[in-house]
Formats: sequence, structure tokens, C-alpha cells
Amino acid sequence: MSKKYILGVFDDEATLVDAFEKLKDKGVMPVEVYTPYPVHEILEGMPIKTRITHAAFFYGLFAALGILGFLTYAAVIDWPLRYGGKPFNAFPSFIVVTIVATILSITLLTLFTFSARAKVFPGKKAEIFHERATDDKFVMVFDEDGIANDSESLKAILTEHGKIE
Amino acid sequence: MEDRLTLSNKFKILTYALMGVGVVSFALGFVFDAERTWANYLLNNYYFVSLAIGAAFFAAIQYITQSGWSAMFKRVPEAMVAYLPFAAVFFLILYFGMHSVFEWTHHEVVSHDHILQHKSPYLNVPFFFARVVVFFAAWIILSKVLRKLSLKEDEVGGMYYFQKSELYSKIFIFVLAFTFSLFSVDMLMSLEPHWFSTMFAGKSFMAGVLHASSIIALIVIILSKQGKFSLLNHSHLHDFTRYIFMSSIVWGYFNFAEFMLIWYGNIPEETSYFVHRWHGVYKILFFANIIINWAIPFLVLMPRKSSRSKLFMIPVILLLIIGQYTELYYIIWPATVHEVKFGLLEIGTFLGYAGLFSWVVGTTLTKASLVPKNHPYMEESIQHHF
Repeated sequence: MSKKYILGVFDDEATLVDAFEKLKDKGVMPVEVYTPYPVHEILEGMPIKTRITHAAFFYGLFAALGILGFLTYAAVIDWPLRYGGKPFNAFPSFIVVTIVATILSITLLTLFTFSARAKVFPGKKAEIFHERATDDKFVMVFDEDGIANDSESLKAILTEHGKIE
Repeated sequence: MEDRLTLSNKFKILTYALMGVGVVSFALGFVFDAERTWANYLLNNYYFVSLAIGAAFFAAIQYITQSGWSAMFKRVPEAMVAYLPFAAVFFLILYFGMHSVFEWTHHEVVSHDHILQHKSPYLNVPFFFARVVVFFAAWIILSKVLRKLSLKEDEVGGMYYFQKSELYSKIFIFVLAFTFSLFSVDMLMSLEPHWFSTMFAGKSFMAGVLHASSIIALIVIILSKQGKFSLLNHSHLHDFTRYIFMSSIVWGYFNFAEFMLIWYGNIPEETSYFVHRWHGVYKILFFANIIINWAIPFLVLMPRKSSRSKLFMIPVILLLIIGQYTELYYIIWPATVHEVKFGLLEIGTFLGYAGLFSWVVGTTLTKASLVPKNHPYMEESIQHHF
């Protein structure tokens, strides 16, 4: 069974923000807002907080420790080999590898985390709410189940604030 | 919006007292231990010149990138640059202490040393001072031109002076890149005339930018605590932090690159520099340098919350003030004093210079409206928010 949504399509930023603020005061939150460019008030106003930066930090921390550990294991413990007159534990030469490999690990792991959380994967069918949401229109998406009791007043507010469709 | 800063008597007395402490320390130092005092003299001079140059670079970058956020604060780097004429005089006085700090000025050393003879067309006293004069003349003239344009803009307004400032900033930044590289080579690298490193100039310049941007942020925060810059918000603080954070990473990268290549190449004339900085207190300073100037700012200022709060910024900035001293001490002391000495002389002379620098910055800030009046990006700076 597919869910039902109410869409508010707007022509420009100002009317969208107006409607957004008004609805926020009434306690109605859109589940998603599509805009052609980042709109500040929406970014701050949406009750979505990302934790991906923390995830990225810990990926970086563990990747760096893991890579350093691996290099130490390989060069010092498992197969000590003297080259260039350097000690087995040639720590400064490990750092460059660690930096580069840490960046790669953070990038890939964060990408996978994001994809998993946002449920996107290659070949997924795109969810398009409105034909021109990827074009020049501002689209607010409301979940009808969440606001079943006052969907009429929602529609009224949207219209009043310059909804065009 | 006439918002002029007036210096309180307390501030004036404090700076005069600090300058007095500096003068007394220098006087006593020259009587009891002249060599060490000249090393102090060089360190403090270089320390505050690097701050002034870093501030000049900061101001120039704001014009070149046409940054809006910093328009409100541009008087602060301008005030720091006003220290340059004082520094010019101090560096000319260094003539009397040349023999105490620079090994290559001794004729008997050079006459027995093939490498130093080879370098003598560049490293000789007349050419050395000719360079000092040329460098300071270029910096002072260009910074005065920029300051004049900036004050003129306050009266007249419009885009004309902004565009002119941008042009001069572009010239300034090229001049600065060339002259400050040679300047740091002259003042710090030639302390050990046999040693050379191509990373050195870049590292010194980045250290200047790092510490200057943190001092700019500190002055802005202090002034905002005094009730000035009432429009300062967390986004401005975040942008200051970004400068500190960015230059700290670049500095750490350069510092590591310098050490790493010399360590890996293992060529005797390069490694000699690190070999006698690799025992005792100098080894501690080597790591302290990295921890204070890179690791702590990197980790503390990384989260968004701490990079927007004065509570986290002030301790990091105070630590960075010590950090620049640590780095210069680590560079200068093994080459000149040859043993670890740190006492009242070092503290006293540093306080003296700090007093002079704050006095120069303070008086320059009072000479013009603290917040520029007709800057074309003023509105953007006030509205700055992200």
C-alpha cells in the first residue's frame, strides 16, 4: 500500500520560507523539502540533525590507528627488513601512508554509511514527488498520515502563502 | 556609526610597565650575558614581525578574495601591521649584535670554511642589511598605501577605493611571498649557515599566518568583551577559527614534510640540524612544537560547537602564543646559546615586546573608526550567518 502525501509547490524562496515558518508555529513539519539550492531557514528549521560527522571522525580515528598498527605489524613484528639504514620501526615513513589511507577509508566508509541510512543504492528507482522538484520549483512534502486531523487547514495555509499548485 | 576606541589609562599604564620590564631586562641582560640577550633580541623581533606580516597577509587575502564576513574587523590586522616601522628600527639595531648570533659574520670562521666562502656573496653584512632595508621599505610602503586607501574609503565610500585596495593587495602578496621567504632564511636559517632546507621559508611563513590569525581573533574577542564589535556573532568566530585551523594544518604539514624528507634522505649536512636538536630538552621541544601548534588546535577546534565558542578559542589562542615562542626557541637557541637557558631574561624581554606590540596596536586602533564606515561589504559582514 503506497503512502499518501500532500505537496506544496512554491515559486520562490520567500513564500516557501513564509509558509514553512507558519506551519512550524502550528507544529506541522514537512517530511522533506526540495529546493534548487540550499535555503538557510529550512536547513536550520528542519528537525533533522546529522550524526554523520561523528561517524566520520571515529572512522578516521580507527582507520588511522588500524593502518599504523598494520604497518607496525608488517614492518616490525612479522617481517623485519632493514632498508636504507633505517630502524625497523621507521615511524615517520608510516605517516604519509596513514594520512592517505585514512582519507580513503573515511570517504568510502562515510559514503557507505550515508547510502545505507538514506536507503539509496545503485539501480534504485528514484522517488519523484513532483516533476519539477529537480528543476526550479520549491516543493514541500507532507506525510498525510501524520497530519490527518488537520489536512484541510494545512492546505489553507499553503494556499494562503503562495502555493501555486 | 562613529565607533571609536579609547584606550583606558589602565591599558596604557600596563603597556608602559611591560615596556619598562623589557627595557630593564635588556639592560641587565647586556651587562651580564650579552650573547644570550642578543639571541632573545632576535627571537622577539622575529616573533612580532611574523605576527605583523601574518596580519598583512590576512588583510590582503580578504581583499583579494573579496570576503564579506571580515569587512567589520579589517582595522585589527591593519593595526597589527602598524608595528612594522618599529620592527624595522629594531632589525637595524641588530647590527651591533651580529657577531653574537650569526656565525657567518666572523671573518676568521669564514676564512677557514670553504662552504661559507662559497656562500659569502649572499651572506655578508652589507648585503644582509641592504636586504633588511629593502624588505622593510617594501612592506612599510605597501602597507601604508593600503591603510591610506582604507581610511579614504571611510570618508568617500564607493567601489573605487576597494578595487584599488584589491590591486595593491595583489601586488603586496607577491612581494610578501618573495621577501618574507628570504627574510626568514636570513634571520633564522642562516643561524646555522651550513644547513639548508627548502621547506623552511614556507614553514616560517605559515607559522606567521597561523599565529597572526589567532592574535587577530584574540584582539577581536577582547574588544567584544569591552563592548565593541557588538555585531560579532558565532559565524564570525567560526570563520576566524577556520583560519587558525587551516593554517595550523598547513603548518603541521610543512613541518612534517621538512623533517620527513631530511630524515629519509639522511644526508649528513641536512641531518646535522636535527641531530643536535634530538637530545635533552630540545627533543621535548620538538614534540611540544608539534603538539602545541598542530595537534591541539586540530583536535580542539574540529567540532563545530567548539569552533564557534570563545570558551574553546581563547585557551587555544593563548596556547598558540606560547607555540610560536616554542618554535622560535627551538630554532634559535641550539644555534646561538648552545645550551638550554630559560629564565627571567627570556620572560622579561618577551613581556617588553608584548607591551610595545599591544601599545602600537591599541594606539593605531584609536586613530580610526573601529568599524569601517563605507566598506562595500559592510552589510554582508553584519548579516554574516551560516
